[in-house]
Amino acid sequence: MDTVHNDRLVEDYLRRLEAAAIAAELSPDRRAELVAEIREHVREALSGDEPDEAAVRNVLERLGRPEDIAADAADAADAAERAPRVAAGGWNGLAIASFVSGLTWLWWVGSVLALVFGYRARHQIRASGGSEQGAGLATAGIVLGWVGVILAVVFLGGGALTVLSGPAPSGPPPLPTP
Amino acid sequence: MEPGEARGPVSQLRRGALEYCVLALLRQGERYAFDLVRALSEVDGLVTSEGTLYPLLSRLRRDEMVTTFWQESESGPPRRYYRLTDAGAAALRDFTRDWARFRDAVDTLLTQGEGDGHRAQ
Repeated sequence: MDTVHNDRLVEDYLRRLEAAAIAAELSPDRRAELVAEIREHVREALSGDEPDEAAVRNVLERLGRPEDIAADAADAADAAERAPRVAAGGWNGLAIASFVSGLTWLWWVGSVLALVFGYRARHQIRASGGSEQGAGLATAGIVLGWVGVILAVVFLGGGALTVLSGPAPSGPPPLPTP
Repeated sequence: MEPGEARGPVSQLRRGALEYCVLALLRQGERYAFDLVRALSEVDGLVTSEGTLYPLLSRLRRDEMVTTFWQESESGPPRRYYRLTDAGAAALRDFTRDWARFRDAVDTLLTQGEGDGHRAQ
């Protein structure tokens, strides 16, 4: 009775199941639970006298294709049992970053960042086919970014004008004393 | 769709009815997972892939048609037992009634055509 070979048949099967579960985007918890259930099923089915290879193959065959099991598990899975996908229905991180940067302003630094993040976020959200949320937030970040940049330019411009035009209220510069 | 056994009409029916078959088995008392799987696969033509019963059980748990509890077993690790809930019993009653009506209707139409087959063109 080659139990090592039998074990390997079972482990190969479970490995295929794990791979299929990953491909079906099951969450790690659900995946582990499913593999454990099937492993326990095999153990129960083979308990008793030392099973021969034919018995092991029969049990695995009756279980069915791992891909079908994983597919059914994916069909039955609710949101908690699915692996979190970055794009699916989530908030685009850059959109949030854009909005926050736009609010913090930090002279022109925050505003420029808001613009960079905002345009990038909009591009990503468009590319995700609308499954990502945050388009509005990205637009708000872009608006804040432009407002901030314009304000910074105005202040800088105003400051530059003040410096260039010299001290306005005071009179002409004192004459150097001989 | 995922590759695999033909996802034809009967296999769709099977998946729909199988949940209620599980609930019906549990009406007779609590059973553990492997026991349920074995009982179902003994009914000819009901189960094609035993492994797919585990996701089915998971769905029943999630929909609260069943509750589970663990119990020590002498022959190995603890076993997960399944028990019908009130909601599950009610769903089973509804399905039994709806299924009977549906099954009779389909049977009537399917057998009606027999014998006239060569006429229809």
